Parts: sequence; structure tokens; C-alpha cells
Amino acid sequence: MSSPIRRRRDGRYVIRLDANARTVLADLARQLPEAIGSRDPMVRRLFPPAYPGVELAGAEQEYRELVDTALVNHHTQALGVLVATARADTLSEAEFHSWLDAIGSLRLVLGTRLDVHEDMEPLDPEDPMAAEYGLFLFLGELQYLMVEVLADELPVDGRPEGPL
Amino acid sequence: MNVRPLKRRRRARVDDLPGGGAVAGERSARPAPAGVVPPDTVPLGDLSTILDEDTATDLPWLVIVWNDPINLMSYVTFVLQKLFGYSKEKATTLMLDVHHKGRAVVSSGSRERAELDVYRLHEHGLWATMEQSG
Repeated sequence: MSSPIRRRRDGRYVIRLDANARTVLADLARQLPEAIGSRDPMVRRLFPPAYPGVELAGAEQEYRELVDTALVNHHTQALGVLVATARADTLSEAEFHSWLDAIGSLRLVLGTRLDVHEDMEPLDPEDPMAAEYGLFLFLGELQYLMVEVLADELPVDGRPEGPL
Repeated sequence: MNVRPLKRRRRARVDDLPGGGAVAGERSARPAPAGVVPPDTVPLGDLSTILDEDTATDLPWLVIVWNDPINLMSYVTFVLQKLFGYSKEKATTLMLDVHHKGRAVVSSGSRERAELDVYRLHEHGLWATMEQSG
């Protein structure tokens, strides 16, 4: 079966998703900025430390002051694009990248809340977190398929000029 | 990247120097050439115009990506290719190091360069930190 996600010849991206899945995505993306704004502990995974050791606490504080607003804006903007284009038939390249970013943020927050670990077994359907875990797996599948499409577009041998 | 949060240079402080404030004292001990203002009358803040934090040591900073149970392996490989221009093979090797050894050094350089790389990795949701080598 062909992937439900592909890049068209005109450079736009198509994601085949049913209406229900699109509603779920838009709802999740609409809720997250509020949690980010209120510094809900569950969103801490979106703001990892640059300088983890106590001896560099001062450098870490400087880093946080320098980047946190930009990081919040970056993720909030991407989530906004996902809300605005959740029902669009096709996505521009920029919108597609925003979807990837937003879905990544949602996975990080959901995964933190679910305390996921590698090789986690599927949750029992009776488990109160089962629905949320199903959502987490759905987002992971979506991310996987989107990355597959984008990775195909990258040069296998890398960029000779190195970092952007 | 549409923001350049790191386009700033932290002004070096006297405490950044080896031996801290003692540097000013050492300098003042040297005889000043005639007609030159003795260095110990120079306000300490002016050191920032001739010194920067990297002169304390030129050991490079290492950017480290840590294993985390949430990000997909293919996503981590993709981000390393995208941000650093690495080949698929090199990015995959680094990703597998992260996965199996718990961490991998993905880039290195000046403190500013490393901070920028850490920021770009944080934008992409990777668990990245930096530390000075040595």
C-alpha cells in the first residue's frame, strides 16, 4: 500500500487523513500553546537544558533568557499553522515543516505525560491512559511517514558545504 | 532559521579570566612605558574590548545529543542530516551511537557556535547539551 503522505510534482504535500483524525490534530494543537504559556510542568521537555551541570547554572540561566521566548514562539507558530491547515487538501513546504514541528511537540508532551520508554508494550485497553497512548502512537506513525518523505529529498551524501 | 538569538557576545568579565581579578594586579606590576597610562587605571570593564570569553581556554565545546525514549530514530537521523549537512551514513552512525551508547557528540566548535547548534537541536525537539572538551 502506498504511503498516505507524498510530495506532488508541483512541490505541494498531500496527507491522506480522515476528517476525524484532522479534528483530533487541530484540537490537540489548539490546546498546547496554553500549556506552554502557563509553563505546565508537562511541557518542560520542549525546553531542555543547554548546560546541565550545576557548575554552569549561570550559563544555563543566560541561555534560557536568550532563547526561551524564541523557542516558545517557534513552537507556538508551528502549532498555529497545524490548527489553521488541519483540513487543507494540500500543504506548502513551509506548512508541511510546521506540521512536523507541531506533531513533534505534541509527541514530546504526550510522551512525557505518559512516561513512555523504549520497547513499551501496548497499554491494556482498560488502562485509563490507553486512549492517550493510542494518540501518541498515531502521532508517531504520522511523524514517521512525514520524515520518510522529507528524508528522500535530502542528498544522501550530505551537503559538501557543511552546516547551513 | 528566522531568529538569531545568539547574535550577541557576552561581555567578558574579570571573573572569567584565569586567576580572576588578580590579572589587573599583574598587569599593573609591569612598568608602563613612559607616556602611557598605567594599565591599573584602565576601568576593568574595558577589558571586554580586548578579551573575549574564549581566550580563557581554546578547548572546543562539544554538542551532545542524548538518547530519549520519545523521538523516533528516523527523525533524529533526519534532523542531523538537515541541520549539519551530514551524509545519511554519518547521521545514521551518530543516531545509532545516541541510541546504543546513550549520547553522541554531533558537532563542536566555539562556545557561540555550539550554543547555536544546541538551540537549533532544541527547536527540533532533540535533547541536546553542550560541554567543554578536556
